[in-house]
Amino acid sequence: MPILEVKGLTKRFGGLLAVNNVDLSVEAGEIFAMIGPNGAGKTTLFNLVAGLYKPTSGQIFFNGRSVYPVREFWRTYSPPIAAYYTVADAVRRGVGLGPLPLGLKPHAVTTLGVARTFQNIRLFSYMTAVENVMVGEHPRMHAQVWDALLNTPFARNEERRVRDRAMELMRFVGLERYADQYARNLAYGFQRRLEIARALATEPKLLMLDEPAAGFNPQEKAELMQLIQAIRSRGITVFLIEHDMKVVMEVSERIVVLDYGEKIAEGPPQKVRTNPRVIEAYLGKSA
Amino acid sequence: MKRPSGQRQPGFLERARSFELRGWGAAGRARNVPYLLLGIALILFPILDSDSSQVNVAADAGHWILLALGLNIVVGYAGLLDLGYAAFFAIGSYAFAILASGQFHIHISFWILLPVSAFIAALFGVLLGAPTLRLRGDYLAIVTLGFGEIVPRVFRNATPITGGVNGIVGIDQPRLPPILGWDGKFGFNPVPYYYLILAILILSIFLINNLRNSRLGRAWMAIREDEVAASATGINTVTTKLLAFALGASFSGFAGTYYASKLFLVVPESFSFQAVSVVVLVMVVLGGMGNMRGVIVGAILIYTIQTYLLIQLPGWIDSATAALNIDWLTKLDLGHYAQQSNYLIFGLILVGIMLLRPQGLIPSAQRKVELELGTSEDSLAELQGQV
Repeated sequence: MPILEVKGLTKRFGGLLAVNNVDLSVEAGEIFAMIGPNGAGKTTLFNLVAGLYKPTSGQIFFNGRSVYPVREFWRTYSPPIAAYYTVADAVRRGVGLGPLPLGLKPHAVTTLGVARTFQNIRLFSYMTAVENVMVGEHPRMHAQVWDALLNTPFARNEERRVRDRAMELMRFVGLERYADQYARNLAYGFQRRLEIARALATEPKLLMLDEPAAGFNPQEKAELMQLIQAIRSRGITVFLIEHDMKVVMEVSERIVVLDYGEKIAEGPPQKVRTNPRVIEAYLGKSA
Repeated sequence: MKRPSGQRQPGFLERARSFELRGWGAAGRARNVPYLLLGIALILFPILDSDSSQVNVAADAGHWILLALGLNIVVGYAGLLDLGYAAFFAIGSYAFAILASGQFHIHISFWILLPVSAFIAALFGVLLGAPTLRLRGDYLAIVTLGFGEIVPRVFRNATPITGGVNGIVGIDQPRLPPILGWDGKFGFNPVPYYYLILAILILSIFLINNLRNSRLGRAWMAIREDEVAASATGINTVTTKLLAFALGASFSGFAGTYYASKLFLVVPESFSFQAVSVVVLVMVVLGGMGNMRGVIVGAILIYTIQTYLLIQLPGWIDSATAALNIDWLTKLDLGHYAQQSNYLIFGLILVGIMLLRPQGLIPSAQRKVELELGTSEDSLAELQGQV
C-alpha cells in the first residue's frame, strides 16, 4: 500500500499553475525522488503535502487515508470549526463535488507522521542544536501548562527522556559534538544534518527532504547518501527533491519528473534517464 | 534553602545538579552566593530603612518589575510585539477594584482575588490573542496598540460599573491573621506591601523560569525563531501563541491587583499607552529581551530614572548653580528648564543607553554564547541555570 498517494493535485497561484493535476504514489519503505527543472513545482508539491498550502483541488492520501479525514478535524480544530468542516464535507460529497479540498494545518500533518526539511535551511537559529531536535519531540510530549509552570516531576522526567532521545538522534546524524552549539553557528553541512535530525525527532513514517545535497561537495554528498540509506533502514520512507543527478540516480529507487507543474515521467532511474521528454525538459528541444 | 548535607552519597550530586538546571537549588553553588546575599539584603531592607520612605518606593517598583517580567514572556520568549500590555494591567486592577470595594459592596478577600484577577487578565489575553494570530511584527503591534487604547477608554466610559473618570476609590486592603504583635492590617504602611510584592515576585520568577525551560518555553522560542519551521515540526502555533498571551497577561493581573490595593484607588488615566505600555516595553527591551535578570534590572533602572532622577534633577541643578554662584548662570534658571523638559531628558537617557548597549543591559544567554562561542556542555548548563 502506498504510504503517500497524491491524486489530481492542483495548485494555482493567481494565473500561475504551479502544480497541475499531478498523480503520484510513494510506496512504504522506498526512497523516492522528485526531479525537474527550476520552477517545475516540486517545492510547491512538498508544501501541499506538508499542509503549508491548501490545494486548489485534488486529494492527498496518507497511509491509504485522506490527509483530511473527519477524525483529524476533531482532533486538531476546535469543536465548532470541526463540526462546520464535517458538515461541509458531507454536503460536498452528497452533491458530488468530492471531499472538501482543505488541508490540515502543518502541525497536524506532522502528527500524522510526515516530517520535512526545507530547501533554504530553516533552523531555530538562537537555540542550541539539541534544543532544535527537542522541539521536534514537542508533539509527542505530554507535559501540560501546569507541569511547565510548577516543573513537576512528570515534566522533569519527560524533559530528561526527551533530551536523551534528542542526543541519540544527534549521534545518529553525527552531530553529538555540536549539541550545545547554537544552530546558527554550525557549519552549513551540519545545519542540513541538524534539520534532518529535527525532522526525525517527530518520529515520521515519511520523511520529505527538499534538496538535501544543495551546496554539498562530493564527500558530503557521499555521507548524505549513507545517511539517507540509514534513515530508510530505520523503516522510514524517504521522499526527496534533488537536483544532483548523481545523488538521485544512486540513492533513489523510483523517480518522478515534474516540468511546468505537470508530471512528465515516472519510474526507476535507468528508465527515467533515457526518457526523451525528460531529456527535452532538461536540455531543451533539439533543432 | 541550605546546602544539602548528604553530598558524598553517589547520585545525590547528580540530582542536585539536575535541580540546579531548573533553578531549584539556588544555594547549591558558589556563584549563587551573590543571589543569596541579595535575598537577605532584600528581606532586611525595611528594618534598616527607619522612616519607610525608601521601602515605599521599592514596593512601588515591584509591580513594574512584575509587569516587565510578564511582558517578557510575550515579547522576549514568544517574539510577539505587544504594545497594549497596559490593557491587561488595567483589567487586573479593575477586576480587583470592582470585586473588593464599596463600588458594588462586594468584598472578596485579596488572597482569593489575586489568582482570580490573574485568571481574568489571562482570559482577556486569549481574547486579544485570538484575532491577532495571523499577524506578525508591525501589524501585531498596531492591533495590540489599539486594544491597549480601547480598554482604558471602556473603563472611563462605563461609569455605572467603573466609576468613569473618577475611577473606583476605597479599594480593600489585604489582611492577614495577626502575628508577632502586628495586627495583620496593611493600611498605609508600605512594609507589608513590600514583603507581599517580594513574595509575589519570587513566586513569579520561579514560575517563569520553569516555563522558560519547559516544553512550552521551547515552543515559544521556536515560534519566535521561525514560525513556519515550528509549525512543520509539529507545534500548534495557535494554542502556543495564545498561551503566551494568556500567561503574559496573567502576571499583569497579579500586578494590577497589587497596584490597586496598595493605591486604594484606580483611575483610567493611570493605564494609558505612554504611562504603562511604552514604559514596560522600554524596560524589557532596554534590560535585555528574553533574559529575566536583564528585564528586572531594566525595570528597576527605568523606574529609578522616572521617579527619582527626573524629579530630583531640577533641584540638583538649582543647588549646583547656587553653589557656583555665577550670576548669569543663576539667571538662566536651568532647573526650571530641566523640569519642563522632563520627557526630553528621559528620551535622551534612553537613546544614550540604547547606543551604548544595543543588545540590552544584560543580554539573553543566547546572545552571550554567540559572542563567547562557548561550546562545552558545562557552559550551557551554567547558562541555563541562570535566571
